[in-house]
Parts: sequence; structure tokens; C-alpha cells
Amino acid sequence: MSAEHFDTHKDDRLPVACDGRPVVLSTHGLTKDFKRLRAVDNLDISVCRGDVYGFLGPNGCGKTTTIRLIFGLIHPTAGHVEVLDHKVPEDRTQALRHLGGFVDDPMFYRNMTARRNLRLLAEMNGHVSEERISEVLEVVGLSERAKSKVGSYSHGMRQRLGIALALIHRPDVIVLDEPTSGLDPQGMKDVRELIRGLGEGGITVFLSSHLLHEVELVCNRAAILTRGHLIIEGPVTDLHPASTSVKVLTGDQSRAWEVISGLAAPGKTRRDEAYIVTESVEGLVPEMVRRLVADGVEVLAVIPAVEQGLEDMFLELTSAGEEGRGPRVASSGTGKESK
Amino acid sequence: MKSIRHEFIKMLFQKRTYIGWAGLFVVPWLVSLAFRLSSGGPHAEGTDPADTIMQLIRGNGIYVGLASLFALATFFLPLLASMSGSYAVAGEAENGTLRTTLMQPIHRGTMLLSKWVVANVYVAIGLLILAVAGLVAGGAFFGLHPMRLLTGQTVGIAHGIGLIAACYLFVLLAMAAVVSLAFFFSTLTNSSLTAVAGGLILVIIMEALQAFSQFDFLQPYLFTHYFSAWTNLPRSPVVWDPVAKALVNFVVWTVGMTGLGYLRFRRKDILS
Repeated sequence: MSAEHFDTHKDDRLPVACDGRPVVLSTHGLTKDFKRLRAVDNLDISVCRGDVYGFLGPNGCGKTTTIRLIFGLIHPTAGHVEVLDHKVPEDRTQALRHLGGFVDDPMFYRNMTARRNLRLLAEMNGHVSEERISEVLEVVGLSERAKSKVGSYSHGMRQRLGIALALIHRPDVIVLDEPTSGLDPQGMKDVRELIRGLGEGGITVFLSSHLLHEVELVCNRAAILTRGHLIIEGPVTDLHPASTSVKVLTGDQSRAWEVISGLAAPGKTRRDEAYIVTESVEGLVPEMVRRLVADGVEVLAVIPAVEQGLEDMFLELTSAGEEGRGPRVASSGTGKESK
Repeated sequence: MKSIRHEFIKMLFQKRTYIGWAGLFVVPWLVSLAFRLSSGGPHAEGTDPADTIMQLIRGNGIYVGLASLFALATFFLPLLASMSGSYAVAGEAENGTLRTTLMQPIHRGTMLLSKWVVANVYVAIGLLILAVAGLVAGGAFFGLHPMRLLTGQTVGIAHGIGLIAACYLFVLLAMAAVVSLAFFFSTLTNSSLTAVAGGLILVIIMEALQAFSQFDFLQPYLFTHYFSAWTNLPRSPVVWDPVAKALVNFVVWTVGMTGLGYLRFRRKDILS
């Protein structure tokens, strides 16, 4: 699969964020209740032009519900979505002219070929040439199966066809709901390369995923969601701590803790099973070893700690989010309950 | 128009479309064959329009189309109409394609209206197939001759075919009420089978109520009460009063059920 270049919509009226780039997709106080369950809770996120934006969270945290709200498939209990300067749900039809993508498993008409499906669905958003259909089928690697009925397609092929449909009108934002789910390793690699290529081509991608490694690989910005609630949003590099740490094992860990915590910056030392873990700023390790030896503490091991990845941070944040929140119940004061 | 074309193409790619139409094509041939194989001889004409038409078939194939309407009007045609209306929303929701369509820039109202139009077009094409097959089968088995009306007068073949067309048009409007009822159920559920069952069961209940005089007060409001009112058309003069009452009833049910379906669908959360 190869990426393609997009001419993106220009609009000076759009608000800016992310170092001066315009915001092309945002949610404002977005809330969705299903009877007594609050699926999305006062969500505020901003996706800027050119972002490959990771929308991370464990299964059932409200990612797919948010995407359904973005496409206007369901109605918010409170708040709204903005796509460029079009509000959803009020101005849903205009907003959808700038969006492409799929939610859940992309579904098509099983008795029709892939080409006919694309033609039929894409024509609802204006004329589409046969050449353009061929192009997008080529991009997603389905050219050879273009004349096959979709009923004979595997899950992975339908995912690709979903991406082809998303691309066909060169939208400003592509929203993909777990596009690599159910794919084999090669399929996952292909789709990730395609998404990365789209980002390089200037298209904005909103990528929902519970695969943190995937987000680290392809996204420049991300948000982490748990129980419908936004935990953190920002550049992936900011979410991913760059500092390295060391793990220390001594013959007297109690005495060692006093020495090390006295040397390191406050709050930068913690216990990890038998080890003491501390942030390894320049010059700390030699000084720490010197002090420990001087205090008669036998140093058994000083080893680099595995760097905290986004996965660790994700688990830390989402578990903190879980602990800090009560039952996920819709309050009566946030607006009417959704049907 | 683009949206109607979209729905029409989808309909043409459904196998069930052709199964329904094939059934309607076969019925007039079976009716003709049954009358050809049955014993001949003189027939005493009854006062019931159905009896009269059945008795006249052996001498004139032009009646096969009307006999087919009698054979199908109480169950098969409502079933077909119910299936057509119920697939519109619930069938697509069941297949997951409803969300694919609604993720394109189309107004929900436009999409719903297109689905309603195409559901009725499906029934209309089915009735056209039934009517044409009736004339062809009737002509092949018994020949086409000037038509004797239910009031005893005789009209030419062309006039007779015109009256048969009017009967079919009447039945199409009756079926539009059934389509709309199923259409409404279709917006309430994500299961097309549930929507078909909902529509059809209500039609059958309405038909069953006609057997009980205790519910006579309800009859003027039930569209099934007027299903056979087309028999007032092949007469001279035409008996317009029951026809007009029937048409008003069909229009009220059609507009009411379609309107309720729209109100439901406009705010429906698409979770399928």
C-alpha cells in the first residue's frame, strides 16, 4: 500500500492550536449517556491540521461512541463536535463532506463488488470518476479483487475497503476506528504504513486504538481516554517520558533509600520490588555510589531501568483514572437522558 | 433523485427482490392451470364478486389478473409489502450498512423518503408483473375476450384492461399503507424479521377482527377492511363511495405511519 497526497481545505477562520496550526476537528463538552451509563463525559479534544492523532483507551472506554458522535450517528446528551467550522449534529451534512472514515467493522453491500460499493456510496458525496475509484483501490492494495463481491472479502479486506472509501473524496480529516483490529501482522504493518504516509501527505488522521505501540509508531499527538473521560492530551513525545532511570540493589536498602532520596530530586525515587529506582540525571550515579560506599552500604547492582513507555504511562494513567472515579453513572443535571 | 437511484440499485442487488417478483409471476400461471384442469360445465354465478370472477375465468382469460388479486390480497401481497417496508431501515441496520450510508453527507429525511419510495416501487413492479403475467397466462390458457363487468354489461378488451389497471392501482395504494406500517416498525428495531413480523401480525389481527361483530365499530378505521373495495371498480356505474372511503383510509395510514417513522428515525441513535 502506498500513500497519496491530499490538497487540504484552507480556512483562516478556524481557531488555531498546536503551534499555530488550525483546529480541524474538536469536541466541546461532549457528553453521551445511555440510560444510566455515561459513555462519554464532558470531552474536550482538538485535532489540528496535519495531525496523526491517536485516540487511546481500553476497550469500552467510549472511543467508538465518540466516533459515532463525530459522524452524527448518535446524538450527544450535551456538547457538540466541530469539523472545520461545521457543528455536529446541527450541521451534520456539511461536516460529513469534510470527513471520511469508518466506525467499528466497516460494512458494505455483500452482493456488490468492491468497485460498485465505492461508486454507490461515494456518489452520495458528489461525482466520483472511475479513475479515482481505481486509484484508491490501488492505494489500499485491492485492485486485483475490485471485481469480487464484498461478501467474499475477509475482515482485513473490508478494513482496507473502508479506508478506500474514506480516502475517495480527499476529505480534510479521516477518522479510523481501530483500523488494524483483526489484521494479521503484515496487514497491520501495511495499514500503519498507509496511515503514516497519509500524515506525511498532509491529511489529518484521527486514529482510535487500544494498541499503544501502534500510536507510538504512527501518531504525533494523542489523547488518552478512560471511562469516557479525557485523562491527558498532547504530543506523543510529551506523553512519553524521555528521562532514563537506574535500578539500585544494595546490601542495606533502608540505608540506601535515605542516601539516594537525599541526592535525587524530590519525588524522583521510588521502590520497584527489591530495587530502588531513581532518575539518572548527569553525575548522580557516580556520586550515589561514592556516598553508599562511604556509608558502608554494599552496592550489589546498578542497572539501567527499562524506560517507561507509553504503555506503562497509559496503564498508570488509566488505573489512576479508574481509582479516582466513582461509578460510571450519568448525573441527572447534565441534560436529558439519551434514548 | 440521486438518493432514490441509490436505494433502487441496492434493491436490485438483493436476491429477495427477485424471489418476490418470481412468486408474483408464477401465481397467474398456477391460477390458469388450476382452472384449466378443473371440471368444466355450466356455472351458477354467485353474488360474491370473487365467485363471479372465478366462474368467468374459464370463458375469458382477462379475469386471471383479478382472480390472482383475490388469491394474494389477504396474505402474500401484505407479506411482500411488509418485507419491503421493513428491510428499508431495520434490514440495513442488521447488516451494518445503515451506518455506512449515514456516514455519507445525506440528510436522514432524504434517505428515509428515498427508502419509502423505493419500497413502494418494489411493490408496484411486483403488481405490474402480476398484472402482465395474468394477462399473458389468461390469454394463453383461455384467450382474451371483451370483459363482462360485475354489473352484467360488457366492455371491450382495452376498456377491460384499463379497469384491471385501476384495480391494481387501488391495491398498490392499499399496500402502501402496509409498507408504511412495516416502515414504521423498521425504525423501531434493528432486526428486519422483527419489523416484518410486527407489520404482518398487525395486518393479520386487523383481518381477524373482521370476523367478530363486536369489533364492527373499529372496521371503518382498519385498512384491511377496504382491501377488497377494488371490486367496486369493474362495474357500471362505478360505486365510488366505498372506493373513496378506502382511499382516504389508505392515505391516512400511509402518511401517519411514514410520519411517525420519520419522527422516530430523525432522532434515532444508530448503534448497529
